[in-house]
Amino acid sequence: MRRSGRPSLRRRQDMDTSDSGGVTPLGRKTAETGINFTSTTRFSRGLTFIRTHTLFGQSPARRIIPQTCLLQENADPQKIAFLLRKQWTLYSVTPMYKFSYGNLKEYSRLLSAFVAAEKRKGLAVEVGNDLGIKVTLSTLLGLKGTDQDQVAILVQIASRSQLPCENAEDKVVWSGWFCCISGDDLLESVPDDFTCLSLFLANGAESYTAIVGSWFQKTFDCYFSHLTISPLNLAWMAAMWTGCKVDSHMAATELVFSVPCIPQSLDISYAIHPEDAKALWDTVQKTPGEVTQEEVNLFMDCLYSHFHRHFKIHLSATRLVKVSTSIASAHCDGNIKVLN
Amino acid sequence: MDETVAEYIRRTVLKIPRHEIMEMLTMWEFLSKTQLQTINVHQIKEKISQEVVELCEVITSIVNDNHTYRNKKVWTVYQMTKAAGEETDSFNLADFKYKFKRSLRSALKNVTINFREYEDNAIWIRIAWGTQYTKPNQYKATYVVYHSQTPYVFISSLRSSLPLLCQALVHASSYHDIHEMELRSRCIDSLKDIVFKRYSQTFQTYHPRPLQERNVAPEKVDPRIIQENKREKERIQRVNQEVFGEGLQPKIEFAQYKLETMFKGEPEMDILTEKEPFRCVVKFSSPHLLEALKSLAPAGMADAPLSPLLTCIPQKARNYFKIKERKGILSASCLGP
Repeated sequence: MRRSGRPSLRRRQDMDTSDSGGVTPLGRKTAETGINFTSTTRFSRGLTFIRTHTLFGQSPARRIIPQTCLLQENADPQKIAFLLRKQWTLYSVTPMYKFSYGNLKEYSRLLSAFVAAEKRKGLAVEVGNDLGIKVTLSTLLGLKGTDQDQVAILVQIASRSQLPCENAEDKVVWSGWFCCISGDDLLESVPDDFTCLSLFLANGAESYTAIVGSWFQKTFDCYFSHLTISPLNLAWMAAMWTGCKVDSHMAATELVFSVPCIPQSLDISYAIHPEDAKALWDTVQKTPGEVTQEEVNLFMDCLYSHFHRHFKIHLSATRLVKVSTSIASAHCDGNIKVLN
Repeated sequence: MDETVAEYIRRTVLKIPRHEIMEMLTMWEFLSKTQLQTINVHQIKEKISQEVVELCEVITSIVNDNHTYRNKKVWTVYQMTKAAGEETDSFNLADFKYKFKRSLRSALKNVTINFREYEDNAIWIRIAWGTQYTKPNQYKATYVVYHSQTPYVFISSLRSSLPLLCQALVHASSYHDIHEMELRSRCIDSLKDIVFKRYSQTFQTYHPRPLQERNVAPEKVDPRIIQENKREKERIQRVNQEVFGEGLQPKIEFAQYKLETMFKGEPEMDILTEKEPFRCVVKFSSPHLLEALKSLAPAGMADAPLSPLLTCIPQKARNYFKIKERKGILSASCLGP
């Protein structure tokens, strides 16, 4: 069984973390990390939520909000900090066949060559060496929903600095990462040769995303598909994230609606003061640690009726396209940004 | 200005002998006398040609700007007021220009000011701002449009020098004070329509615009098809018409409401018992906001009549509002800026 192979996997992880030495995007950000475990918990909580809601299309009638810290002790705060405050486009990935955590270095090499080759296509002249592109695959420790989840993988494309001096930093031009969160029920049914890293998040040029995606698809016989987030799930996110306690500066809870079916396009942004939004949510939510569909509906209905009272417009007839809170923001096109 | 033209001017000035430069420039009849006077022919030729090119660029940009920037920049509307008892003097253009320039130049040496008059009594003023040590930045000019027969001024692209500009305007036009109206849009013609009341809303048709062509060809409808909500639809159309008027709406792109009213949902959801207002900010944006709002009720997304908060925009000549709870009455009211 796969589970018995876990000790050896851990050993290989130690080897692989040395891989990430080549890419140094974090040096610039050390001053502003201020990362603590609570915010990273929220990060993985947010992801859990996104994953289960968007992938399977069903919205559970109720969700348990994990209150305890789910992170592993070996989480790298710097790497996690790197994931914050960036816009990630979401993709759903089918299980990968014969993916091995032990071969990350090899994969880095192959993917580097592939990216270089793809980029060179269409160039009339052979350009010196490999265009200074370097791809690194590394593990992202600490982002798991449960113990059974697979370790997350980070892929980064960096361009080598043009300067001749030794310690010139490589600039990361594209990042993507795979993760698997709380997929207990799915993991049970997946055969041994498959690795289930079903959520992929990409930041950077679309062209790179396409190249990396096609390499993974070819190499591991999997399939990437763009994830969209339905208005229903956006409403859940708005409700849950509004309810979270944020220590630092609170941003407004903003809902953006797009009005369909009229000749001129119309967008309505409804931004509520964070304290007032949280006060409203706190009166709606009954059981601590648990959120039900009724509670989310009631929260949204309250907001809609307050709006209707002023403007006589039925927001429920429009389409919720974007939700933004102090914790994170999400757009129906499948873009998310975790801020805190 | 075209790169090749700029280069041509530069080279020409460099080629001809120094004592012939002024003669040539006068012959071109492109730069005005005042502008010619600003050129120092005793400096090195490189500098002379540079100055000439810059002056020419200013001229061409004024000609282009009126057409290109008319609907690209965001315009803010300001209203000037007279002190109580003051009389309106007849407007003198030369006087206005002189006073305006003097007022601005007394505070700031490095400004470029250009005027252009149009048929509809509109004066376009283009101002390029510099600092004590730097020359005026021609690429980030401010535009001011003033209709001499009205107290309204439209200003675009203004950064930091607002007080100076306001002071100059008030002084030059012999008014007492100026304040910003809560009205902003990209379409200056629509702003003019709103403040000059040129749109046709109910009972206000000073300058009625031609009515929109209505498609009156009757459709061939199968008599067996019955419209379930025909009456309601007709009522909505009628009410919408009354509220918005028949003609085309003025074009504005956004409206913003800062709400500080008490939260009150449906009676059955008596949720918040807070005594504090429920603070939120609502922003509407659309390429043509008023037309979009007008189409909401017929599309079923809103009740008819639409809320007066939205329909009062042209009438009140504002699109930025702060709404506070009115004591004793459920509905909200508009307060001053």
